[in-house]
Amino acid sequence: MNTAALSLPDRFRLSRFFLGEAPAAGPITLGHRRIFILPTQRGLGFVLLILLLLLIGFVYSNNLAYLLGFLLASIFFVAILHSFKALAGLIVRAGRQPAVFAGQAGAFNFQISNPGRLSRFAVQLHLQTELTISLAPAETQTATLYQATVRRGWLQPQTLTVSSLYPLGLFRAWAPLRFDSPLLVYPKPAKRQLPFPQSDDGAVAEGQSRRQGDEFYGLRPYQRGDAIRQIHWKTFAKGQGVFSKQYAGAGSSELWLDYQQAPGHNREERLSQLCRWIIDAEKAGLRYGLVLPNLRLQPDTGAAHYRQCLQALALF
Amino acid sequence: MNGHPSSRLLWFISGSIGLITLPHAWHVPPLLIGFFGLAWLWRLLAISRPDWLPNRLALFGLTLAGIGLVYSQHRGIFGRDAGTALFVVALGLKLLEIQGKRDVYVIVYLAFIVAATQFLYEESILMALYIVLVCAVLLATLITQNSVSPQTVPALKTAATLILQSLPIAMVLFVLFPRLEAPRWSWLDADNQAKSGLSDTLEPGSITELSLSPELVFRVKFDGDLPPPAQRYWRGPVYSLFDGSAWKAAPALFRAANPDQPTFSGKTYDYTLLMEPQKQNWVFALELPSAFSAGLRRNELYQLTTNKDPGDRAEYRISSTPVYNTGDINPAESRENLQLPGKPSEQIRDLIAQLRGGETSPEVLIANLMQHFHRENFRYTLNPEPMPERPVDTFLFERRAGFCSHYATAFVYLLRAAEIPARVVGGYQGGRFNTLGGFLEIRQADAHAWAEVWLDGKGWVRFDPTAAIAPERIEQSVNVDLQIASGALNFSPIQLDAKTLTWLQRSRQLWQNVDYQWQRWVINYDTANQQALLQSLGIDDFVKLGYWLVLSVGGLGGLLAWRLLRPNRRRRDPVLLAYRQFCDKLRQAGVDFGPGDGPQTLAQRAKIARPDLADPIERIAAVFIRLRYEPCTAAEDLQVLKTLVRGLRV
Repeated sequence: MNTAALSLPDRFRLSRFFLGEAPAAGPITLGHRRIFILPTQRGLGFVLLILLLLLIGFVYSNNLAYLLGFLLASIFFVAILHSFKALAGLIVRAGRQPAVFAGQAGAFNFQISNPGRLSRFAVQLHLQTELTISLAPAETQTATLYQATVRRGWLQPQTLTVSSLYPLGLFRAWAPLRFDSPLLVYPKPAKRQLPFPQSDDGAVAEGQSRRQGDEFYGLRPYQRGDAIRQIHWKTFAKGQGVFSKQYAGAGSSELWLDYQQAPGHNREERLSQLCRWIIDAEKAGLRYGLVLPNLRLQPDTGAAHYRQCLQALALF
Repeated sequence: MNGHPSSRLLWFISGSIGLITLPHAWHVPPLLIGFFGLAWLWRLLAISRPDWLPNRLALFGLTLAGIGLVYSQHRGIFGRDAGTALFVVALGLKLLEIQGKRDVYVIVYLAFIVAATQFLYEESILMALYIVLVCAVLLATLITQNSVSPQTVPALKTAATLILQSLPIAMVLFVLFPRLEAPRWSWLDADNQAKSGLSDTLEPGSITELSLSPELVFRVKFDGDLPPPAQRYWRGPVYSLFDGSAWKAAPALFRAANPDQPTFSGKTYDYTLLMEPQKQNWVFALELPSAFSAGLRRNELYQLTTNKDPGDRAEYRISSTPVYNTGDINPAESRENLQLPGKPSEQIRDLIAQLRGGETSPEVLIANLMQHFHRENFRYTLNPEPMPERPVDTFLFERRAGFCSHYATAFVYLLRAAEIPARVVGGYQGGRFNTLGGFLEIRQADAHAWAEVWLDGKGWVRFDPTAAIAPERIEQSVNVDLQIASGALNFSPIQLDAKTLTWLQRSRQLWQNVDYQWQRWVINYDTANQQALLQSLGIDDFVKLGYWLVLSVGGLGGLLAWRLLRPNRRRRDPVLLAYRQFCDKLRQAGVDFGPGDGPQTLAQRAKIARPDLADPIERIAAVFIRLRYEPCTAAEDLQVLKTLVRGLRV
């Protein structure tokens, strides 16, 4: 885009004023470079009030009305410093962001610490959702804010605006912060429940039948990676420990999910379909492998494998 | 945060609004203050029962009723009283309609306006303090509104801090902000309230009323010495027309201009006179004003008048010289001051002949008349019996009891009957000296009347017949408090010696002094004062004033910013603090060590210097080393160290 083609308001919108500094990977301490302060509408109302008081003082030659006007004007001025103080020194860092499927709201975690001896009575955090918190001295809080996801891939958080109206609401102090703390967005799973693709060894039919037949043959102690669906809740409820249900033939055959074989008109639809299959296969406790044009993941099951497959789809 | 305000916020709002309107109860008509009170109570009850609040239609009806009430009481919505009432009513109505954040702000801003209107009625220092306190509550309301988890005490504390931090800048603005003379718009004028004071007719009764009033008339601060009490005559209206029972000032229209200007000799007193609001535009200068500030005028009767609104407090610079000669009298003036209602009685003419004793000189007559008052059992009283018929004769020959205006009247009457021009002068005499503030306070109770006689070669000369009967009235000031308490005249010696004052008197003087300074520097700070002050600072044009404003406000703001925004200081290490205490104690004990000595070296030296303390010193050093240099130390160690150091007796 040509900068000259940008209108002034557009350029203004893109300036440091609103976007803030370059995205940061580490924690950000709010200081005078980060914090902006402007009067709010109520602040402008307050200015009108001051003018009215001075007018009363003028018309009636009343020095105390003048004095009250000057006191409020001075409070207006001092309120700027307090607005700055409401944010200054806060340390914000982006936390670990869990991956989501496209279309779900992406949850971004931010840690806000308040060093020093001052309480912060109202700190407002705004991403696409808003949250207002108060922080005691030396307190650290984690705030989760949401942002809509549309496309698969890495999603950087938008500008996080930390703002405050404290103490009088006459000024809004705000700090636009950008973090380099992307969240992984998996493709949006296809809605249609298509049957699993045919494998070379004809395992699909088996897999399907087992999934529907539920030929339960026993329990084994829970292992990391077992699907939640497999957990045998009855024994857990009796306090005998966590066991996973084993299905006959589970693990005996392998399901290959191949990009080339996935139905769809374009790449996104195919990835979407693959995503749906991976979810279903994981839920069913099947062993599944993924074949992408540039990548081949050996069949396996469990959370780690599941994440690996979805990440491969997300970043394809 | 949005939506309905919390009940804490509503309590805050109701409380502060109630406090801000409370002082208005004394001057807003009862009907309107009642209207506000009902709305306020309604709001208070509705805090726990929000469904009791009026709906839109009812609120509209109430608004119409409120406007109707204001209009019925004041016939309009302009001017001080009507405007104030309008804001009070609006505040009450707004209380019933607090939906969201915006309404909270509207109501708080309205409250600030109501606070300012309060100053149009009362400008005392106490009222100012009260309003500032209520402002703190109003600010706390806004703070509560803007906190996530509001707490009452921190909100009030923050509000108080904000106000305290703002005061210096507010004061600089107050001093430097250019004051412009406002045009007087009659529709905005304050209605004149009845004020006591001297009037242009002098009836014997009028001064009695004043004698019971402690109301302040003016205060005077002398540059140098005070004039002696017998010279403290504050000259006011001159009465030369007598109708038999009351005196009137001669209308200026018929007054002949005196070609002679008074000549002054002797000591001149320079002083600052702070007049309280009055009905008349008279300024009571010490007799006789020889020089005075602009805006004052000395008329043909040597009385000072001001061209400012006498309803405003005003300060004047005046110089007076008690020794003067007013020069010649012109025939018209002479005629005016010989006027009598009808012919004097036989008795009076006999008295004059008796007092003259064959001499023609007016001085002899006056001296004899004074002697007469002194000898013939005349009494001074504030409660004489009324003398409706031929008051002068009744007073002179029957009752022989009265106060200053009776004596002045009789005196002038007799002299006029003897063909000597004379007149009655009203004003104040004496005044109480405030030792702390170094100024004289003159109250209505100091009101006085005396006589002036025109003598050939001397001009108008003051004679005070009251001095012949009650010299203490002149020599010692009126004891206002006793007089008011007993309803009768009392004199008490003026106590100039600060040591003999009781703490009560002293604190009262201190308070009056504070009040005087407040009036002079805050209430009465006007264009003239400001220009004088700015000129003494070397500010003579608006550009310089602008620089000063920007520099001083910026400087104060910068100072505040530096105080407020410097990074939080770390807490001092308690271990080091205790150790430093220990070092100080050793230094006291005479142990010699340098700044670079470590704890062990220190302990060695200390043990040699004070073997008696070897044990505690060793233990302190050991605990300190453990606390300071070992990675993990128990929390109790710090306590041990503190106790040991505290217990060390050197």
